[in-house]
Amino acid sequence: MSEQEAAAELSVEHDHGLHLRPAANFVRLAARYRADVRVANLSRSGGRQANGRSLLEVTALGVDRGHTVRITARGEDAQEAVDALQGLIRSNFGA
Amino acid sequence: MGPLVAIGLVLVSHSARLAEGVREVAEQVTQGTVRVIAVGGAEDGSLGTNALAILAAIESLSDNDDGVLVLVDLGSAVLSAETALDQLDVELRERVRLADAPFVEGAVAAAVEASLDSGLDAVLAMAEAARGQVKLA
Repeated sequence: MSEQEAAAELSVEHDHGLHLRPAANFVRLAARYRADVRVANLSRSGGRQANGRSLLEVTALGVDRGHTVRITARGEDAQEAVDALQGLIRSNFGA
Repeated sequence: MGPLVAIGLVLVSHSARLAEGVREVAEQVTQGTVRVIAVGGAEDGSLGTNALAILAAIESLSDNDDGVLVLVDLGSAVLSAETALDQLDVELRERVRLADAPFVEGAVAAAVEASLDSGLDAVLAMAEAARGQVKLA
């Protein structure tokens, strides 16, 4: 089992940012991967990182529309996890 | 709506409307994959909690094989829930946990974790982790 790392930075364009329902979609997708997924909101100071599997931590990042997030993943399927989560955000959470 | 997962939630509040509102949020974030039952108010409909109604709610989820997590709002809701747990038959009691967690955050976090088909202990842990969650970004 090789340890991989992957990361991506992108802006969130959903009207409500990473608020409750989009964040729940994010967490539920992140949980499908073995990789440890972290999310940070680069548009707010403090640089707190959320566990990508915790809805409460992700919503507490206060990601509003136009904010930039950094997704990092570590584990055997890190790249797949980052690609999928980026895809979810880019697709505007399937909206 | 996805397939139902094997853990159910019972939300106990002094207010039927509060319990129902939290249930609504929990169901939305899990897209209806988790069975959530709201139990609120005293027997006469006033604010309060009712151990018999809590007992009936838990028993109605007894075919949720991986168990039932009970969340409560305040104070005496704990006593009512504990009274209900004491009335359960032994086999079901082993699959029921009472969460020491904030009501709204705990319920939502537990519902999301349950929707991932996690086990009862993982769902309980996610609910109780909500105690330490800061709210402001």
